[in-house]
Amino acid sequence: MAIVETRTGERPGTGFALRIRSSLAGTNGRILMAFLIAGVLHLVGTLVIPGYSSPFAIRALLVIAALLAVASIGQTLVVILGGIDLSIPFIIGFANVVAAQLYGDKWNFALVCLFVIVVAMLIGALNGYISRRLDIHPLIVTLGIGMIMQGSVLLWTAGFPSGSAPPYVSAFVSIGGSAGPLPFPWVVPALVVLAALIVVVLARTPYGRRLYALGSNPGAASLALIDPVRMWMLTFSLSAMFAAVTGILLLGFTGSAYGDVGQPYLFQTIAAVVVGGAALVGGRGSYLGTIAGVLVLTEINTLLIGLGFQPAAVQASLGAVIILLVSIYGREKHVSMTI
Amino acid sequence: MTKTPLHILQRLWRDTGFALVLLVILLVVNLILNPTRFQPSAWGSLIGLAAPLIGAAVASAPVILGGRGGIDISVGPLMGFVNAIVIQLLFLKAGISSPFVIIPAALLIGAAIGAINGALTTLVRIQPIVATLGTYLVLTGVTLTILPAPIGPAPAWLKALAGPWSALPLIALFAAWWTIRRLPYYDQLMAIGSDDRAAYTAGVNVTRVRFIAYVITGVFAAIAGLMLTALIGSADPNIGQAYTLISIAAVALGGVSLAGGRGGLVGASIGAIDIFLLQSVLTAFNVSTYVLQIAYGAILVVAVILTAVQERAARGREV
Repeated sequence: MAIVETRTGERPGTGFALRIRSSLAGTNGRILMAFLIAGVLHLVGTLVIPGYSSPFAIRALLVIAALLAVASIGQTLVVILGGIDLSIPFIIGFANVVAAQLYGDKWNFALVCLFVIVVAMLIGALNGYISRRLDIHPLIVTLGIGMIMQGSVLLWTAGFPSGSAPPYVSAFVSIGGSAGPLPFPWVVPALVVLAALIVVVLARTPYGRRLYALGSNPGAASLALIDPVRMWMLTFSLSAMFAAVTGILLLGFTGSAYGDVGQPYLFQTIAAVVVGGAALVGGRGSYLGTIAGVLVLTEINTLLIGLGFQPAAVQASLGAVIILLVSIYGREKHVSMTI
Repeated sequence: MTKTPLHILQRLWRDTGFALVLLVILLVVNLILNPTRFQPSAWGSLIGLAAPLIGAAVASAPVILGGRGGIDISVGPLMGFVNAIVIQLLFLKAGISSPFVIIPAALLIGAAIGAINGALTTLVRIQPIVATLGTYLVLTGVTLTILPAPIGPAPAWLKALAGPWSALPLIALFAAWWTIRRLPYYDQLMAIGSDDRAAYTAGVNVTRVRFIAYVITGVFAAIAGLMLTALIGSADPNIGQAYTLISIAAVALGGVSLAGGRGGLVGASIGAIDIFLLQSVLTAFNVSTYVLQIAYGAILVVAVILTAVQERAARGREV
């Protein structure tokens, strides 16, 4: 994390207000702020809406947040690297439909998962390779590849996917499920472990250090013997892998396959990463921040629906809230401060 | 530099490269496959059909040229918003059908939304993709609130803008850009797009130039929204969003660098025409929408790869 800390130091100054400001602008400040806002939103919900903190409501919130958190892992890594991955919703849809179809064709489910994840990772590696090797903006590459994937899946299933997930996958993500003595399904503790793992990987392994180094200075990183193309391939394939996992989990969650199941995740993963304090220019961000962003988004969504807003109004408010939050603690430096 | 036709061609080739080749190929294929559709007598409706995409691509370009992650993903929803306001509020509810009210109103809405995007990205300094994602969601939500379901019709003069008079809004659009290109503003925008720090030290007001780029994008998107309204002859709350990503794809296809400072609006519109002609070819083959989508994605990827390869070769020659 050392690299991150030094990059965020803004103009030097004295005085309490300035110190608060600069600590808010720091990465940890942003994460803290996002968690705080999620907490405040939950408090508001509990006060305003009866049953907002009931065990069932909290379970539902945790499961929905966990699914978004898994989908956002890849986006976090890719954004730290200085890229963006628009193929996530398409890969979610691909994994969702193909897993259901193959399981319906009596494949072994472990084999199904392996197949889906390997194909997804190959596609992700292709995304990373084309973007970095040829210096094409990943926005375009991942969009194009995503469209090819979606079209192929639709063609294969003729638009009517069939099949379902094995019962244990459904139990893993079911809102009514329980993890041993714990009152929520396994996906929640599994995510906590996974999150801890990712935080450690980002902070303590060569991969994590290379990721931040390459994101903050693509030119210098290759001088430090970091192979940019390899890093991009690896990171985009990880992103695709977690998208595929999300697709399989969603199959268990909704019960049936649906090619467009991933579409809401296109902007939600980006929003979660940004609300969590990452900069889309690369080199900054953390998975802990993304988790905070995921909680904020899920709280806002639940709160607005609970207040009886129509879906259209929920969407509009969500947009306004994202702008508001990021303008509080996600502001960029003025160009005069970058010289 | 004297501007002979050869120079202009060379310049166009350098800026758009592969998109231009693709344009010629697709045009020939279209002419062979579907001669009646491309007859001069059908040009009016043909241009009307392509106009919203061209408009959306041209609208997306100025902020991208401004660099430092400049992008406006709210272009599509803004088109839908203009569509809904013009038909639902102005034409049907208020009974206004005069073009002298509707057109200025639409342009004003575009400028206002553009100014909001500009203020969010340059004054509040939120990353452009996030700020415009916010306005994307707000505009989509508000559009669905004022217009829950598709509704029609549109005024007759507006529908004519997708028929016999379809070239008019496009000419207006390009005339506006042609004028901007002749102003010092254009050079400042391109300078900022290639290196905003150098431009800042040279005394360019980076904030103001970028802000204005968002306003231009907003106004252009409003014109694209009018073209869309003319084409569908009604109001549809769900039609605008689809234009966002495809217009950015068109811009990239047309050789505009998403990093800023390189490319132009002619390239962007060539990219858009490519995508339109591709759609036209594939529908002529009567393929399913699924194949259409695969081909769409594949051509996009292959085209940007070839553009990048050609660029590398060109750079190699210069060095």
